[in-house]
Amino acid sequence: MHVLLVEDDAVLADGLSRTLQGHGMQVELATDGLQADAQLQRNPPQVAVLDIGLPGIDGFEVVRRLRGRGDSTPVLLLTARDAIEDRVRGLELGADDYLVKPFATPELVARIRALARRNAPKTGILTLGNLVFDSGARRARIGAQPLELSAREWAVLEYLLQQAGRVVSKQQIVDTIAPWGEDLTLNAVEVYVSRLRLKLDGAGLALRTIRGFGYLLEAAPAA
Amino acid sequence: MSSIRGRLLRWLVGPILVVNLGAAALTYLLAWTPAQLAFDEGLRTNAAALASRVRVGGAPVLSTVPADDGAGESNWAALHDARGRFIAGAPQLPGALHAGMRDARLDGEQVRIAVAEVAGTDGLRVSVARTVRARQQVRSAILRSLVLLEVLFSLALVGLVWFSAGNGLAPLARLRARLDARGSSDLAPLDDAGMPRELVPVVDAFNALLGRIDLGARAQDEFRANVAHQLRTPLAGLRLQLEWLAARHAGDRDSARSVALMLQANERMIRQTNQLLSLERAEPNRFARARLAPLDLSALVAESVQAFVEQAAVRHIDLGFELASASVDGDRFLLRDLVDNLVDNALRYTPPGGRVTVGCAALPGGGSLLRVEDNGPGIPARLRGQVFERFVRLDVGTHGSGLGLAIVRDIAKLHGAQLALGDADGGGAVFTVTFP
Repeated sequence: MHVLLVEDDAVLADGLSRTLQGHGMQVELATDGLQADAQLQRNPPQVAVLDIGLPGIDGFEVVRRLRGRGDSTPVLLLTARDAIEDRVRGLELGADDYLVKPFATPELVARIRALARRNAPKTGILTLGNLVFDSGARRARIGAQPLELSAREWAVLEYLLQQAGRVVSKQQIVDTIAPWGEDLTLNAVEVYVSRLRLKLDGAGLALRTIRGFGYLLEAAPAA
Repeated sequence: MSSIRGRLLRWLVGPILVVNLGAAALTYLLAWTPAQLAFDEGLRTNAAALASRVRVGGAPVLSTVPADDGAGESNWAALHDARGRFIAGAPQLPGALHAGMRDARLDGEQVRIAVAEVAGTDGLRVSVARTVRARQQVRSAILRSLVLLEVLFSLALVGLVWFSAGNGLAPLARLRARLDARGSSDLAPLDDAGMPRELVPVVDAFNALLGRIDLGARAQDEFRANVAHQLRTPLAGLRLQLEWLAARHAGDRDSARSVALMLQANERMIRQTNQLLSLERAEPNRFARARLAPLDLSALVAESVQAFVEQAAVRHIDLGFELASASVDGDRFLLRDLVDNLVDNALRYTPPGGRVTVGCAALPGGGSLLRVEDNGPGIPARLRGQVFERFVRLDVGTHGSGLGLAIVRDIAKLHGAQLALGDADGGGAVFTVTFP
């Protein structure tokens, strides 16, 4: 995944680059607003991670110019300020997400991935642990072992994989896989998840229940 | 408190009443004097007529005068010699030593006496006395009317001053209405168009004050933003660098331990910075500028679930939720601070393996409830008053800032919410925030 990182603080920029690279992303770095603006035009990334407080033109202006060109590259804004106006303004200008420094690394990575997926074609292959999940071909396997899933189970797992590393509520699952008011209860979601948990045994995944709320799918920590 | 209307009344009504009294006295004199003169003239004429009819030569004889002249007054006449000795007529009339008018009392009644000399004699004088009943009636009628008029006039004057003072103060009332109608964060200068000339300096001074306040507020915001940026950016960089180092040296026990401690210290600095900033954000004078909007508590908690779950996982705590839709009017960022701090507090003071449950619900009688329950050691009743104070930490072994619950208290107070601390079933603490 190609990420453009725009951050003027050298320590943070270096740390972010290495962290994102460690998560398999190709990171291109810009240290001021004008440079970012130029790089966004020359070599559009899959996701732009953009600090607001930049020398030259600030992050807001970069987003404004980007959207002004009709460019829909997903933008994640980083800011040290939590002033209400900043948050609202960033999103109004067309940024897609917003994270206040200092952020937790898994949160940052999960959000960047979520933004990349939003724009990615639906045919992508998702992998987590030993699970390989091919949305386009509608085939999944654990290692070499094919995984048989019902349509509902497939939809639930696909959503959980898309949101891997993030807590999703049962209501979110219902809203995503049955968006047209189809009859799907929260209890039914629990049934699908417990079946998935059995079927995913040995996939190197942890599908945790967040009591009273929802689920969190992540790669099982190496034992 | 002194009132402008009161001052105007005091300073206008007193002097005007004095002037009125003077005018009334003058009116009385003007009305009374001609009546007195006419009466005296009549009496003098009578005395002169009687004197002209005194027969001289031999014993002087005084014509009789009717005791009752048909006008309701009694009359007396007497003749005295030059030394005032009684010669004829009504003996009760005192002797007169010279001609002219005077007042006296006769038979217990006020009379007016006119004395005339009898021409061609060596000092015989005729005195004519007449009661002044009608005159006294006239005088008291004049006085009564004047007093009545004076009272009516004074009352009218007080009323007039009262209403015109109110009318004159109307621009002040309009100014106050305009100030009252302002949004709580509106520091824009007042428009002095249409203001009376006398109020313009006040409005100008007020605008200057507003300007200074606005400048101060902006400087404070800017300072806050700078502090936030200058502290958070290096802390974020440090965290990532340390995490990278931790991953790289995971195999080296001593290095890993050292890096883990550095990460812990870094986390504490991050938390402390965030706490100080959010404490500042919860300042009542900042809150006045915050926006209140209807929010759903369950959605608000859901926004923070990710961070809670990560923190709970690190501490091996079973974190659960019981969220039902619950509407409150609040500031979304302050309420997130409130929820974050309550949950953080519970996760921090519950031992590993413990259980924390975050719940919210609408109350049957209106209002909403937020509830954070743990099964940790609980808080002894005698210490419950203290935990909401700043920098109070009950467990010195735990790394806390001592600010979290103070922030919760401040934010709850700003939202008019009741904050309570009780015992959970089977030990542990329950914090409840009841929103109106």
